[in-house]
Formats: sequence, C-alpha cells, structure tokens
Amino acid sequence: MNPDMTSPTAPADEGVTDLELVKRCQAGDTRAFDALVTKYRGRVYSMTCHLIQNETEAWDLAQESFIKAWRAIGGFKLDSAFYTWLYRIAHNVCYDWLRKKKIEGDAEFDDSRTDHHVAAGAEAVPRGVQRPDQALKNAELKARIDAAIARLTPDHRQAILLKEVEGLRYHEIAEVMECSIGTVMSRLFYARKKLQELLKDTYENAT
Amino acid sequence: MFLRRPHLRRVAALLAACWMCAAAHGQEAKKFEVAPEIRKPATEGKVWGALLYGSSSASGASVAKDELPKALQDLPARLGKVFHFTHFELLGQHTQDVFREYESWVVPSKDLFLKVDSKGRAKDGGMNLHLQFWREQQVLVKSDAILRADSPLFIGGPKWRHGQLIFVLMLTKDED
Amino acid sequence: MKTPPDENDIVRWLDGEMDAAEKAAFEAELAADPALKTEMESLGTLGALLRKNVAADPPVPHADFFNSQIQVRIAQEEMDRRRQPAGRAAAGGGLLDWLRRPWFVAAATAAITALAIVLWQDRGAPAAGTSIVLSNYTPNPEVRARAFHSDEANATVLMLDGLSEMPAEHKITGHRVFRSETDQEVATTTLFSSDGHVLLVLAKDALDHPRLLDHTP
Repeated sequence: MNPDMTSPTAPADEGVTDLELVKRCQAGDTRAFDALVTKYRGRVYSMTCHLIQNETEAWDLAQESFIKAWRAIGGFKLDSAFYTWLYRIAHNVCYDWLRKKKIEGDAEFDDSRTDHHVAAGAEAVPRGVQRPDQALKNAELKARIDAAIARLTPDHRQAILLKEVEGLRYHEIAEVMECSIGTVMSRLFYARKKLQELLKDTYENAT
Repeated sequence: MFLRRPHLRRVAALLAACWMCAAAHGQEAKKFEVAPEIRKPATEGKVWGALLYGSSSASGASVAKDELPKALQDLPARLGKVFHFTHFELLGQHTQDVFREYESWVVPSKDLFLKVDSKGRAKDGGMNLHLQFWREQQVLVKSDAILRADSPLFIGGPKWRHGQLIFVLMLTKDED
Repeated sequence: MKTPPDENDIVRWLDGEMDAAEKAAFEAELAADPALKTEMESLGTLGALLRKNVAADPPVPHADFFNSQIQVRIAQEEMDRRRQPAGRAAAGGGLLDWLRRPWFVAAATAAITALAIVLWQDRGAPAAGTSIVLSNYTPNPEVRARAFHSDEANATVLMLDGLSEMPAEHKITGHRVFRSETDQEVATTTLFSSDGHVLLVLAKDALDHPRLLDHTP
C-alpha cells in the first residue's frame, strides 16, 4: 500500500506539488502539464490496461485521458486531489470505450478471453540481481496474478487495484468510480473472494 | 452475454428482481411485505424528484398543487420562466431517502431517472451529491452538485412530441 | 452456529478503516473464531501479494513519444482555437462549432459557475442557500450540458442540448413512488407506492447499468 498519496512515486518535477503544476496549467503552461503527464502516465496506463485488457488500446486511452484532462483543467477545483480527478477521467474514458465495444459486440466480458493477456506492468518486474530460477519463479507468480486479476469484472478489478496497489481510501475510490462507499466495500469484498479462490494455491505455496 | 461466470451475482440479482416482481404480481391486492432481515441503511436526507412534460398545448392534466411539495407550489410558473412552455403535466414523482453509503435511485418513470450518490453534507448546509441522469440503459450526464433544501434543480431532458421532458430534483426540508 | 461477520466489517478491518472500538470488537470476534481468523489471514496475505507483484506505476512503452504526442495534440487544438473565429467567420456560421468545442464548454461551464457563485455572494445568499452544479460529464460527445442559475425561476438549471428526441409514439409511464427498499445481498432496489404496492424493481446488469422491471398493474 502506498499511504502517502500526496506524493506518488517517481515525480517528474522534484519538490513541485501537483497544486502548483495545476495552477500553472490553468494559466496555459503546457510544460507544467507535461510534468503532470510524466508523473502520472504510468499509473493512468496501468489503470487503462487493467480495465480494458488490451495494451495497445490502453496506451491510446491513457493519452486520451490526459487530453481530456487538459481540456477540462480550467474547471478543476484546487481543493481536491489532482490524481483522483485524473483517475476519474481515465475511468470514464475506459468505460465509454467498453460501452462502445459492448455495442459493437466484439468485447463482451468473456473471462475466457482475458486469461492470456498480459496486464499492465508486465515490464515492471524488478530486474535486479536474481538467480535465474528465482526470476522465473517470480515471473510465473506475476503471470498467475495478472491472469487472476483479468478474470475479475472491470468494476471489481478497478476497485481492488485502486485499494491494494494505489492505496486509495474508500471515499477516493468512490470518487474515481462514481459510486457510493457501500458499493466500493461490496466490490472489494467480492474481488477479494474471487482472487482468493483463484490464487489460494499460488500464494500458499509462495509464502 | 453477461451470463458468464464473473457475473453470476448480477444474474442472481436480476433473477431475484424477476422473482420479486412475480411474487408481488401474484399478490395484487396484498401489500408487499419486506423481509425483516433487510437492514435499513443510514440516510443523509430526503429528495423529491419529478418528471414533467412541458408543452404549449394544454392536452394533458395540469399539475395539481396537492401533488407538489410545499416549497414548489408555484412549480409550473417557475418552470415557465426557464422552458417557455405554457403547460406542464406531472408524469411521475418520487420521494426518496438519500442513503449515506449506498446509491439511491429517483425513478418517477422508467424512461428517465436519476442515480444519486451522497458525498456527505456540504459545509454550509445542503448535501454534496454525485448525480447520474439515465435514459433507460444510457447515462446522459454525470454531475457533481450541491443541493440545498427547497432549492430545485431543473434538468432539461429530451424533446418529446410537441414539447420537452423535464426532470426536477429538490432536497426537501425534514418537515416536508 | 456463529453468525458470519458482515462483509463490510471484513473489508473495513482488512483496510484499516475501523475506529478503535470497532477494531477491538472485531478482533475479539477473531480471537474466538479460529476459522474466521484463518480466513482473514488468508485475505491479508492476498493483499500483500498484490502489493508486491502488481506495479502501481509501471513504465509506459515509448514514454517520450507518449508525452510528445500529447503536447502535439494540445498545440494543434490551441492553433485550431486561435484560427477558428476569424477563418470560420469568413466562411460564415462557424460560431456554433466554436461554442461546441469541449474546452470552450468546460471553460464556459466553469466561468458560469464561478460567475453564478460571485453573483450569489454579491446578492447575499439566502439562509437556505441555493443549489449549485459543480461539474458535468456527458459520455455522448453529441450531448452538451450547460449549468446556470435562473433568478426568475429561482432554480438551478442543467440544460442538456443535443439529446435525441424521444419517439412521439413512445408512451411515457409515470409513477408515484413513495419509498424504496434496497437489498444489498442481491443488489436490487424495490420501489413502492404510498399504499405499499410494488411499482418497480431495479437491478443491475453486467456493466452496472440499471434494469427496471415494471410492475404497474
């Protein structure tokens, strides 16, 4: 969990807060926006990848999310967190895409199709000094986790990742997913139960 | 194609909904009895929502004052200032608790309805809400709003026949 | 037989969202129920596994290109915006398109909201205050939302332009709904009339979209 969400990892402009960057964006400074893109592109890409389970489209949707954020940044209220506002835009972009795909009839939520997709962050497995057998074991474990996550519904998938990986609080997840806190809790409960069922053997052997 | 494994719970929900409808249908004259174990969620307040049809031809029934909340007795006249129709017909209305942690639905008609999520009380009174305005299976707009007691929100919806469908939402005072 | 704990309590304990009293009560329950304790440990391990193995901030493929394309799009839109009033005016009738641009709608909405707030403040807000629309999002790009306050009507207005018309032959059936009951277990909401009859039942489909089942006689 990342408890310090006021300063997510890998900031592009060390020491410059989101608030300052947003104010500069609102004054028309595109370089400040570039800094925000650099800071959050990995997180937004991760979200779009996990939600739609298609890496190429996810890259485009992550870009689309930032473009929409730029267009709307004039209306951003400075008393709330930039990242929840940005994640909410990405959430809407992905759900619009899913809805269109659903209408077109070629992206129904068929869990059997998602098993073999590689989820976001596939390249992010630490490549430190590891013995080859250990690295292989880690890669296998990660592939199993990605496959299990892919078998959740988009709502459950997003809720559990925003909680466990992003470390967002319930009210922030509700803000991003545009639902009530009760719905967030329910999604977290069922996502965990499903993942537990899918991964129990894996993590009991791994720990 | 939602009858897939990850969605069994929702399928169950739909089946349960069908069952509830069927059960109620078989007891036309009886009141629906709520299972005692259903827990009533905490509420933030109460809203009144209505769907009206505005037009300039007085074909339908006029709005009866006893159907309106106290603070909106002059609703047709106020709607006329914005929508410029001469006649308003109340198609449906819904008085609804706004739940603290769970979504609430305001459904004066199944054609146009609202999802309401409470985001807590506003600092200076009123309620912070996330609203979603639905037309059957399609969400038309998502809005964040602060509703304050007796201050209505008029939503200009789709055109219909010779006029327009209008949704009214208002946070009511406790005594209403 | 022990009563299983509420699912909300399980997630709130796992996520550290309980206050001290709730936490103590739940942990007493855990101490008295080894099966529940094992289950909670298993769920806790699952969380740790996810945090360790799923990258929150993975590298984006072709990251520099990702950024530069965004900058190009922004610059392009800015150029279009600057060019349009003069260019389109010569062609005639371009103002409407300009007004429809997303940035303009966003800016106008923000400006209207800000202006409305200023006007309300200047006028002295009534004791009960006035409702405000803070932000809008329309999934269909053809639909535009405008929020404003009408002094004449003493109401906040959210106008949706560009909606497709409701077919004239379609009959709108209204209801008089008095209250609702929500069953969290099966995620349905039942809507009742003032005399206790069921009018509608609302459930969700796989995309979390509502489905309404009419029960009017």
